[in-house]
Amino acid sequence: MIAIGLIILAPLFAAILILVLRRSSFEIALVGAGVSFIASLALQFGTKTSIVLPGLPNMPLLLMATPLTALLSLTVATVAAFVLVYATGYMAQDKEKNRFFTTMLLFISAMQTLVLAGDWILLLSAWEIIGLSSYLLIGFWYQKDGVKSAATRAFMVTRSADLGLYIAIFILIASSGTNEIVATLNTGGSAAIMAGIFLLIAAMGKSAQTPFHDWLQKAMAGPTPVSALLHSATLVAAGAILLIRTAPMLPPETLLVVGVVGGITTVLTGLIALGETDLKRLLAASTSSQYGLMLLAVGAGVPVAALLHLIAHAVIKSTLFLGAGVFQHTRESTTLSDLEGAGRDRPRIFLGFAIAALALAGIPPLSGFFSKDAVIAATMVATHAWLFAPLALIGTLLTGAYMARTIKILWQGKAKQTRTSGIRWMGAGITGLVVLVVTLGAMFSPIESYLLTELPTNYLAVILGLSAALSGLLLGWLLPVNSLLGPLRPMANHGFQVAGGIDNLFVRPALAIAHVCEKTERRLYSAVLAIGQFNLKVAMKTRLSDEKGIDRLIFLIVNNTLKLGSQARALQSGLIHRELAITVLLTSGLVAVALVGLIIF
Amino acid sequence: MLPIVSITLFLPLLGAMVILYLRNVAAEKIHQIGIVTSALTLLGSLLIWSGGVAVSGFSQVEQLEWMPSIGAAYRVGVDGISLPLVLLTTLLFLLTFIFSSNVRNRPKSFVVLMLLLETAAIGTFVSLDAILFYVFFEVSLVSMYFMIAGWGHEDRQRAALMFFIYTLLGSLPLLLAILGLYLGGETQTFDMRAWIENPPLAGSAAMLALIAMLFTFAVKIPVVPFHTWLPAAHVQAPAAGSVILAGVMLKFGTYGLVRFALQMTPEAFRDAGIVVLFFGIVAAIYGAFAALAQTDLKRLIAYTSVNHMGYIVVGVAIAALSLDPEIRAIALDGSVLQMVSHGLVTGALFFLVGMIQDRAHTRDMAQFGGLLKTVPWLGWFFIVAAFASLGLPGLAHFPAEFQIFLATLREMPWATVVIIGIVITAGLYLKAISQVFLGKSKEQWHTMPDLDKRELLTLSPLLFFIILLGIAPSLVLDVIHKTTSALNF
Repeated sequence: MIAIGLIILAPLFAAILILVLRRSSFEIALVGAGVSFIASLALQFGTKTSIVLPGLPNMPLLLMATPLTALLSLTVATVAAFVLVYATGYMAQDKEKNRFFTTMLLFISAMQTLVLAGDWILLLSAWEIIGLSSYLLIGFWYQKDGVKSAATRAFMVTRSADLGLYIAIFILIASSGTNEIVATLNTGGSAAIMAGIFLLIAAMGKSAQTPFHDWLQKAMAGPTPVSALLHSATLVAAGAILLIRTAPMLPPETLLVVGVVGGITTVLTGLIALGETDLKRLLAASTSSQYGLMLLAVGAGVPVAALLHLIAHAVIKSTLFLGAGVFQHTRESTTLSDLEGAGRDRPRIFLGFAIAALALAGIPPLSGFFSKDAVIAATMVATHAWLFAPLALIGTLLTGAYMARTIKILWQGKAKQTRTSGIRWMGAGITGLVVLVVTLGAMFSPIESYLLTELPTNYLAVILGLSAALSGLLLGWLLPVNSLLGPLRPMANHGFQVAGGIDNLFVRPALAIAHVCEKTERRLYSAVLAIGQFNLKVAMKTRLSDEKGIDRLIFLIVNNTLKLGSQARALQSGLIHRELAITVLLTSGLVAVALVGLIIF
Repeated sequence: MLPIVSITLFLPLLGAMVILYLRNVAAEKIHQIGIVTSALTLLGSLLIWSGGVAVSGFSQVEQLEWMPSIGAAYRVGVDGISLPLVLLTTLLFLLTFIFSSNVRNRPKSFVVLMLLLETAAIGTFVSLDAILFYVFFEVSLVSMYFMIAGWGHEDRQRAALMFFIYTLLGSLPLLLAILGLYLGGETQTFDMRAWIENPPLAGSAAMLALIAMLFTFAVKIPVVPFHTWLPAAHVQAPAAGSVILAGVMLKFGTYGLVRFALQMTPEAFRDAGIVVLFFGIVAAIYGAFAALAQTDLKRLIAYTSVNHMGYIVVGVAIAALSLDPEIRAIALDGSVLQMVSHGLVTGALFFLVGMIQDRAHTRDMAQFGGLLKTVPWLGWFFIVAAFASLGLPGLAHFPAEFQIFLATLREMPWATVVIIGIVITAGLYLKAISQVFLGKSKEQWHTMPDLDKRELLTLSPLLFFIILLGIAPSLVLDVIHKTTSALNF
């Protein structure tokens, strides 16, 4: 219980402390992340507990440590700790490092909350807050060109997809009457299918699956440690984590859709990565592709295989991004053509990068081999093996191809001697991660027994997977991109956008509707004003008719009466009858005038 | 036992009289009196809060004879629906007085008017007598008219007149409805508790009364298409006026919707619920889209009010339609909490826009850029408030909107389309943030000063409560839920 609290609160308090003190941000951040890491480690061995917190009426918040959530928490804590070590060097010269570390810590805290959440409201909250912190981190250099639109796009795309999570949660709560995640997983029937599809939409947004994949590549505008943390191991991981955790509930129909989405993504974004001309964007596309493989495993009904690949990918991809950040520092660019030979500038960093690249391709005995093998084996035992297995193999082949191409570019070319400040911290962060990349594979079978599951083993899967990986590496090394992609190259470079992508399909229509609303507003406003002015005119007319009409009439009557009075004196004959008759006549005349006046006006 | 509700209610009026009595005092002194009075009023409302509410009906009721011959009396009290609003009102007024303490244009009339407005606002929420309610309701209108006309911006006269005529015409039907309820009851009384306990009208009479009430509240909330006065009034009103208008006075409409329409003509509301729901959805979505098209920052925030108030209408309509007490409670919990959240968040946003306008003398978003660099405090406050407004979890709007949408899906699944509003508001706020605060900072704003002490004092409590309410909504929800879970209509 204390461990859960520390995992989440240590980074959060560290963030607040940095905000208050406005100095020593490295030290505080490292201590915060370190405490969180140790607590997360302790959580693996302690008893599995849960904490209930006050939430909404009859819907309390719940934090829960199960083997699965504890393991995910450890993954997040580990990658976060190494990335922060690296960032200590990387951000050493930045003037706004306080803001950087505060946001990073907020992000870590929110991600841990997401992983450990035992109820839907807390999960949704954490889910959206990591959206906010990634917005702030991607937009960190907000004065640079293109940064603000990248940050806005990342938040908007994920938030639109988040509607899926909202609706899925509402459906689950409505059908099961509770907001506890474990309890809602018993949902069946059409509610489960609907909820599953909406969960998938949310996951597709966060994990950058086709057709939502383009925000991730554009999100590379943030500092490199941000990419290493958010776009490999944490933010994008949220989508896959969501599906892994809800997998027991997903009915076969939904699983098929999950698998198909994953399969399409792994192939399409693999092709994009192959055709990419920018190192960080290449890695981003690769991230989408690897998460596609995870979705394939979930779709195949073996979420643990997805989990293993998620863990392996987390350390591998962070290593790759951190390596890319070093090259970026030495060459001040991330374009592949500028990076030719960048590996020779820093051979040791390059070695780490190359090991991680081979691991991602799935070469034994590195961790990626085992996790990818698990995914491929899972697709081969699936109901729809004929569909899933080939997609997984193509994805593996493409991974080999783009990684080989990257390594080749980084190594071929001339070295330039440059000095990089903070390289020690950066090197330390990378080294720690590379050690994990190499050794993690050995931990997978203890993890399986820890989670009380056993993965399907399949020698055919090993053979096929390994040959796909090796042929991918060979193809990528030997053939130029254009002959590999052929006619697909232009489409890959445009991110396989359909009909102009998100901008044309959603943003423009939304702005057009907004424009129509604004026009309506103007019309409504002028209509109301016109009514007001019409009323004013009527009022003026009334006043005029008052002055010229009734007033005149009354004065006329008064004058005439006066005149009549003087004449009447002459009429006074002493005969009462006559005077009475005249009075009656005059009075009735006056009444008639008044009546007519009333009717007219 | 002190009559604490009445003391809280009339304290501002007393302050106003003190100021009127004083001759030849400095502006600072007058503002000090305003601040002290409203601080005491806030204290009073905190005392009421600590008194709590009963499980059902009204608590801390105080009454006096007034017009016994017609059954009207001075009756005040609170329940879980009105109490949070009273607290919100007194908090916002205190902050408004702090913010306005630099007003040098006729400070005396300004403070007196604001104090009068405060009493009227509190009175609207605590009245348990329909005549009393109506009087406070109208007095607030008059005070706001003078506020806009006297201290507004360039086109204030027209906006003030439009506001006045709109809401005055709007409130006449309510008077008719009140008379109808009065005449329909068995005993001739204006006691709102009696009408809630035992709805006096039925059938088509109830429907007519409901329509009249809906018209009044639709203008006040405002619901599309009765909302045109809102952007006009907001843009022209001084920042303090906008804060009170959006933060407190719009709540009269939704409060009335619950207190009168829902509680006094529940049967008719159930029949007409689908229509109200439809109007709420249209208002929420239309308001969001209209806000997206704005280039004037203040108009943008004004339109997001239409959107957020639309959610409340949806929530109340769902509560009226549902037969399941659990769904009703969720919908009303969400709606009442949304009133509080909207008051805090939109209050903060209007203060912030006022601060920007004080510095730049423009509200056109295209004129700005990169302000986060020059005025980081202002920028970050705006970003937090904007994210609260777009419904980010951990901030005030989320728990409210979550409950409203949850109840909507459970009762009327198709009506959940209203949820797309949260994506549009996200888009429009990100657009505003990116235009005003991100990007390269423009030369002309390099000398812009960041927030001063007065402004920090105004904003910090709001931001604190926005975060507090987001993290621990149960602080307020417990009070609201006590009443909403016991409602039987």
